[in-house]
Amino acid sequence: MLRCIDIVKEFHIPRGRRRVLDRVNFQIEASQRLGILGRNGAGKSTLIKIIGGVETPTSGRVERHMSVSWPLAFGGAFQGSLSGLDNLRFICRIYDLDYASTRAFVDDFAELGAQLAEPVKTYSSGMRARLAFALSIVIEFECYLIDEVIMVGDARFLQRCQDQLFGHRADRALIIVSHDMGFIREHCDSGALIHDSRLRMYGSVDEAIDAYRSL
Amino acid sequence: MTGLPAALRSLLGLFRVQERVIGALVLRELHTRYGRENIGFLWVIGEPILFCAGVAVLWTAIRPAHEHGVPMTAFVITGYVPLTMWRHCMFRAVKAFESNGSLLFHRQVTPLDIILARVVLEVAGSLMAGIIVTLCAMAVNFMEPPKDYGLLYLGLGFQILFCLASALLVAALSEMSDLVEKSVQVFAYLAIPFSGAFTMADWLPAKYRWFLLWSPSVNNLEMIRGGQFGHSVRPHFNIPYDLSATALMILLGLFLTLGIRRHIVIQ
Repeated sequence: MLRCIDIVKEFHIPRGRRRVLDRVNFQIEASQRLGILGRNGAGKSTLIKIIGGVETPTSGRVERHMSVSWPLAFGGAFQGSLSGLDNLRFICRIYDLDYASTRAFVDDFAELGAQLAEPVKTYSSGMRARLAFALSIVIEFECYLIDEVIMVGDARFLQRCQDQLFGHRADRALIIVSHDMGFIREHCDSGALIHDSRLRMYGSVDEAIDAYRSL
Repeated sequence: MTGLPAALRSLLGLFRVQERVIGALVLRELHTRYGRENIGFLWVIGEPILFCAGVAVLWTAIRPAHEHGVPMTAFVITGYVPLTMWRHCMFRAVKAFESNGSLLFHRQVTPLDIILARVVLEVAGSLMAGIIVTLCAMAVNFMEPPKDYGLLYLGLGFQILFCLASALLVAALSEMSDLVEKSVQVFAYLAIPFSGAFTMADWLPAKYRWFLLWSPSVNNLEMIRGGQFGHSVRPHFNIPYDLSATALMILLGLFLTLGIRRHIVIQ
């Protein structure tokens, strides 16, 4: 179970503060797949970073009773000047994974070939996404945090992600933030909407999508 | 009753995680800074060696062999190694959190780990450089072995803690204030007279000495020199004062570091 309790996030701007998230409360259970919809700038990525522990909320807290992945999104998680392999080594060390078998899986899943030995900053966004997905899948988190913008790979890669995440790991919880209604409808079993810095849970994905449409 | 062992076990588990993370950060730091080309990570020792050996050779060549009855080469080495350690720790601490922001994506990596890893690396590099330069100087008979190893190690231990304290403070404050970030270099330069690296407190008139001994670094260097030269010098230091001043700095540094996440903007 993962629970967000009264999360408030404010950013300092030149004219005072702007409240991006206002008393966000929700919880998700094991194997629940929550899609969070919202317009650009609604605070979706901020929320997912707070859930992942990358950013601290201004007030409120996150209770994590399962292992939660880092937010799979553009940027972050990798050191650009290091090669993909060095990043992989680092992640193996901090998560206590066996390097050889992890590398074999990443090689096979991400299909980056020789580019794995080049600095991550030279990767295209699709290549970064592959590396990030391969690593987070091999770590076997109980809950995955996914920023939909990262789903940029080619059809073959998307298919593999879906096989792994939605097929082999159907028992895992998932939080996806997106503004793509189709994607949420296809992969989630519950829906929420962030609007005017408040988050509202809906009984079904379709209700959330209808509410999003009528904004 | 079973609560305590379980709590202890989980605490030990957390320490193991931190140990693993700091180890990984040290290796990562070596790779980002020195790459894998030519001697690569050996530069972490090579840089301070070049500096210390260069200064030691220069001072030995242009200054009299003894000053205030102290042999010049040993005096320069015992002064420069701790000074370099302190300066490197401080300079590497500036904006350390921001430049490592992407690592904070992984929840087990904390700002404290980032700064500890950098301090470990700098301290280890300067110590190894110091040992190598000392051994070389002794091999060519420009330096004698230390007279009192206990006092020497005590001084070095204090200096390492002082470096850690300075790094914690600089890392946190440079993240909060641009003024601190920009003024670290000039501060480190102006602080040289108060580092004790080029003077001994005994050379000063007694009525000004107390002022110099406010600096933990001076206390540390006095201990190191007392250990190196034995009875041929009169070191002045105050261990209870040094201990409490350093401990206070470390506590303040830890306090700031624990609250620093709010000030770090991660992409």
